[in-house]
Amino acid sequence: MRRRLPEWFVLLLPAFVVVAAVVLIPLLFSLYSSFTPYKLTRPSTLWTWIGERNYERILTDWKFWAAFGRTVLFLTIALNLELLFGLGIALMVNKVTRGQRTLRTVLMFPMMFSPILVGFQFKFIFNDNVGLVNNVLQSLGSDAALPWLVDGNLAMFSILFAEIWMSTSVFAILILAGLFAMPRDPLEAAKVDGCTPWQSFRHITLPFLMPFIYIAMTIRSLDVARAYDIVQIMTGGGPARRTELLWTLMSRTGYVDAKMGLANAMGYVSILLSIAFTIFFFRKLSAARAELGMGG
Amino acid sequence: MKPNIYNGLAVTTALVAVMDSAAAQDYGSYPGVTIEAKFIGGQQYEGLYGRIADWEALTGATVNILSKKSHFEIDREIKSDMAAGTTDWCVGSNHISFAPQYEGLYVDLNSLVPAEVLAEFVPGNIDASTVGGELLMLPRAQFDVSVLYYLKSNYTDADKAAAFKAEYGYDLAVPETWNQVKDQAIFFSDPPNFYGTQYAGKDEGVVGRFYEMLVAEGGQYLNDDYTPAFNSEAGVRALQWFVDLYEAQAVPAGTTSYVWDDLGQGFASGSIALNLDWPGWAGFFNDPEKSKASGNVGVAVQPMGSAARTGWAGLHGFSVTNDCADKEAAASLVMFLTSEESQLAESSGGSLPSRTAVWEANLEAASNGDDPYRAESLAAFAEGAKYAFAVPAIPEWVETTNIVFPELQAAIVGDKTAKQALDDAAAAVDELMQDAGYY
Repeated sequence: MRRRLPEWFVLLLPAFVVVAAVVLIPLLFSLYSSFTPYKLTRPSTLWTWIGERNYERILTDWKFWAAFGRTVLFLTIALNLELLFGLGIALMVNKVTRGQRTLRTVLMFPMMFSPILVGFQFKFIFNDNVGLVNNVLQSLGSDAALPWLVDGNLAMFSILFAEIWMSTSVFAILILAGLFAMPRDPLEAAKVDGCTPWQSFRHITLPFLMPFIYIAMTIRSLDVARAYDIVQIMTGGGPARRTELLWTLMSRTGYVDAKMGLANAMGYVSILLSIAFTIFFFRKLSAARAELGMGG
Repeated sequence: MKPNIYNGLAVTTALVAVMDSAAAQDYGSYPGVTIEAKFIGGQQYEGLYGRIADWEALTGATVNILSKKSHFEIDREIKSDMAAGTTDWCVGSNHISFAPQYEGLYVDLNSLVPAEVLAEFVPGNIDASTVGGELLMLPRAQFDVSVLYYLKSNYTDADKAAAFKAEYGYDLAVPETWNQVKDQAIFFSDPPNFYGTQYAGKDEGVVGRFYEMLVAEGGQYLNDDYTPAFNSEAGVRALQWFVDLYEAQAVPAGTTSYVWDDLGQGFASGSIALNLDWPGWAGFFNDPEKSKASGNVGVAVQPMGSAARTGWAGLHGFSVTNDCADKEAAASLVMFLTSEESQLAESSGGSLPSRTAVWEANLEAASNGDDPYRAESLAAFAEGAKYAFAVPAIPEWVETTNIVFPELQAAIVGDKTAKQALDDAAAAVDELMQDAGYY
C-alpha cells in the first residue's frame, strides 16, 4: 500500500518549493560559486573548484577591509543620526493637533523616491561646478568651489546627507506609531507626581519607545548595509576609493571585473556584518521589552 | 595593431568604383521582425540613431533600443547578460578595448556580411575589428585619436600674451607640448568660473589618457611579456602632469568623476580653455545652438610629450549576438548603421569614417574650402591619427584599467605620491597577469 505524505507536509509543500526556488537554491549556488574562480565572461570557470582561495585573498586584502570599516562607520553614523532626527520629528508631529494626517503623508515623500533618483538629485546638488550648494555659496560671496563629491570627508558627508534625507522618515513613522500606542496613564501619573517634561520623556516615553526604535534600527541596518544605488550614482566609490563601501566594491568586482566568484565570497564575508548588527539589535530589543514587562 | 589611414586609402582607392553599388545597397526585407539593440549613448550618436527610422521603412523591421549608455556601463550590462544567459538581444555597440572579453557572445560577421561590403571599409579597421580570426564588429568610425580643441580668443588678446610672456618667458601660442599645455592651463585658469583644461578622471578614460601621456614620455604600459611597465620614470612624469594641474586648480575639482559626456559638455559651456577630445565632438563644439564656444573653437594636432607625439586610439562598431533569432536582419541593421550614407551623415559631425569612399568625400569637401573649421579639424584629425596606438588586445585590458584608475586618482587628489600610486597599481596588475596565466 502506498504511504500518504502527512497532511501538514503536503499543505506546506508549495511554500517549501517557493522558498527553495527563490532563496535556498540561489543562496547555495552563490555559496558554491564563492569557492570557484567564476568569471561572468567565461561561464566554464564555474566548474573549477579552488577551495577557500577567494576567502584567503579577501582576508588579506586591505582594500576590502578598508571598505568594510568604512561601511561600519557609515552604518553607525547614518543609523544614529536617522534615529535622532526621526525621534525629534516624531515627537514634534505627535504634538501637532491640526493637519497631522497631511503632515504624516508629507513626511513619507522622501521614502517614495527611488534611491537612484535621490542619488542623481544629490549628485547635482553637490556638483562642484554647476551644483546648487556651491552656487548658493558663491552667490553669498564665497569664491570657493567646494569639491563636495571629491574630498574624502565632504563626499562621505554628502552621501550620508542623501541617505539620511531619504530614510529618516522610516524612523519617524515607526516611532510615531509607538507614540500613538503609548498609554496615557503613566504620563499623567508622572505629571501629578511633579516630574519635569524631561524626566517624563527620559523615564517613561523613551523606555516605551525603545522596542520600536530597535525594530527600526534592525530594518534600517540591513537597508543601509545594502546602500548601493545612492553611493554608486553619487561617487561610484571614488575618487581613489575614498567612498568605497562593501557594496560598491562587490559590484565592481562582480560586474566590471566580471569576477563573480570573488564578489560572492566578499558577499558572504560581509553578511557577517549584517548578522552582527541584527543580533545586537535583537538582543537590545529583547532587553527593552523585558524592561517593559513584555517578556523577552 | 597600428592603423595607417593613408596606406589604407591608397590600397583601397581602386575599390572606390564599388561605392556606387554600396549607395544602392539592398538591406533586405524583414517584415514583422523586431531587432533589440544595446547602443552606446551620448550626444554625438543621436544623429545616427535618428536614421534608424529609414532602415525600418526600407526593411519593414522595427528596432527596439533596450539601452543607450556609455561603453563602461554597456560593458557591465553585457557581462551580467552573459552570466544570466540573456543574450538574445541582437545588436550591440562594441569597441576594440572591450571586444576581446566577450568570448562567444558575438557572431563572426564574415559569414553574414558580403565580401564586397567588407571590401568597402579601410582594411586596417577590419583587421583591428578581427579578434582570433573572427570579425566581431563592423567599424562605425575610424581609429580615432583625440586632438586639441581650444578657445581661439585666448590667443588673440595682446594683454594676455604679454602677461604670459612675462611670467613664462616664451610666446603665448597654441601649445605644441604637454608642458606648454600645463603652463597655459594654469595661466588661463580662474576657478571657479574658468579652467585651463580638464581630463577624464575615472574608469578606462583616465587610464587611456595616462597611457597616452606615458607613451609620449617614452614609457610603456606593459612589457612584451605582459609584465606591467607603467611604474617607470616616464610613468611618474606622465602622472605628475595630471597631479600638477589638479593641485594648481587648473582643472575642475570634480574632474576625477568626469568621463566623455561631462568633458564634452564642459568645453561646450565655454569655461574650459584647452580640451583634448575625440573627433566626434567637432561638430557639436562649433554648433551655435548647442555650444557656447561655437565660432571660437580652434582645432590642433595633439601636443607632444618629452619623447613623442602619441594618440590612444579607439575603434568603435556594431556587433551581432550569436543568440539573435534573426541574425540576417541584425546584420542588415549593422550594415546600415555603418553604411556610406550613415557615415557621410555622421562624419559631418566630426567622426572619422571607416569607409574609404567617405574619406574621399570629406577630403574633397575640405579642399573646396567652403568650411574652414571643417578643413582645420579634418587636417588635425588626419595628422593626429598618424600617431595612433591601440591598447593591448587582451581580455584583461579593461580589468587592468579598473585596478589602475583608483591609484591614478589617489595620486591626483593627493592621497599618494605618483611613484607610490604607480607601484601599488603595478603590483596588483602583476598579480592579475599571473592569475591570467601570462607568466
